[in-house]
Amino acid sequence: MPLKKIGELKVNSQPASLAEVDRFTEKLIRKMPFPNEAQDDVAISISEAVNNAIMHGNRQDPQKQVLIRFYSCSQYLRIVVQDHGLGFTPNRVPDPRKEENLLKASGRGMLIMRHLMDRVVFRVVKMGMQVILEKRFPGGLPT
Amino acid sequence: MKLKLHEENNVLIIEIKGKMMGGPEANDFHEALKTEIGKGFKKFILDLREVDWMNSSGLGMLIGGLTTIKNAGGELKLSSVTEKIHSLFVITKLVTIFESYDSMEKALESYR
Ligand SMILES: Nc1ncnc2c1ncn2[C@@H]1O[C@H](COP(=O)(O)OP(=O)(O)O)[C@@H](O)[C@H]1O
Ligand SMILES: [Mg+2]
Repeated sequence: MPLKKIGELKVNSQPASLAEVDRFTEKLIRKMPFPNEAQDDVAISISEAVNNAIMHGNRQDPQKQVLIRFYSCSQYLRIVVQDHGLGFTPNRVPDPRKEENLLKASGRGMLIMRHLMDRVVFRVVKMGMQVILEKRFPGGLPT
Repeated sequence: MKLKLHEENNVLIIEIKGKMMGGPEANDFHEALKTEIGKGFKKFILDLREVDWMNSSGLGMLIGGLTTIKNAGGELKLSSVTEKIHSLFVITKLVTIFESYDSMEKALESYR
């Protein structure tokens, strides 16, 4: 079964949009064959990607929106979060687990996404930056 | 995210309910802490029993809270840390930063 688009949402670049995205996400993934814990993993990871798109990508510019698209096939769920920023180089991001970074209040979003999802891809597209998140359904083949 | 505050044996207990996802609510938390520190509280417990989930902004909130309280000469302990939150502490290596207890009784006991 090929990937099919199952939902789409566009939100303004302000922190208050996180709650809106979470309500949409929760409704959509409730119907999927994920155990409760995996549903939380997906919701947490989406909140990280959208937060980064709002804060770092679009820098809270009221002229710019964040686009979130959901796709699924028989094996996995894919979420694509897109901003209108310049992108960044993921492997230049400091490791938050280093002693000197442990008491910093930020810098853990990418680590958490990578840990909770089966696949996380960052790529620069013409429009801006895309973060692709994938989570396999129970028994689903590797993505 | 919702906050509920009460005092027990001179310890300020803050119950957090819902999702700790950051956004405008993180400010409410820091404001509440500052107010209570201003009243003279030194001993704090955050009760995480009813937290549905937490992301990196939630972790940042906890670290910010710890720093604020320590700088004011106080102490912060966490109670009822769920397995899920504990696993986030492990991934991020924050386990050593927070003093955590699996129940409110044990957290209160530690202040006696
Ligand atoms: N969409 C994005 N556009 C531009 N930069 C980004 C984006 N996402 C992440 N970054 C960069 O990667 C860093 C690490 O992101 P993250 O791990 O989520 O931590 P935090 O958001 O708390 O800084 C950010 O500080 C930022 O510099
Ligand atoms: Mg982030």
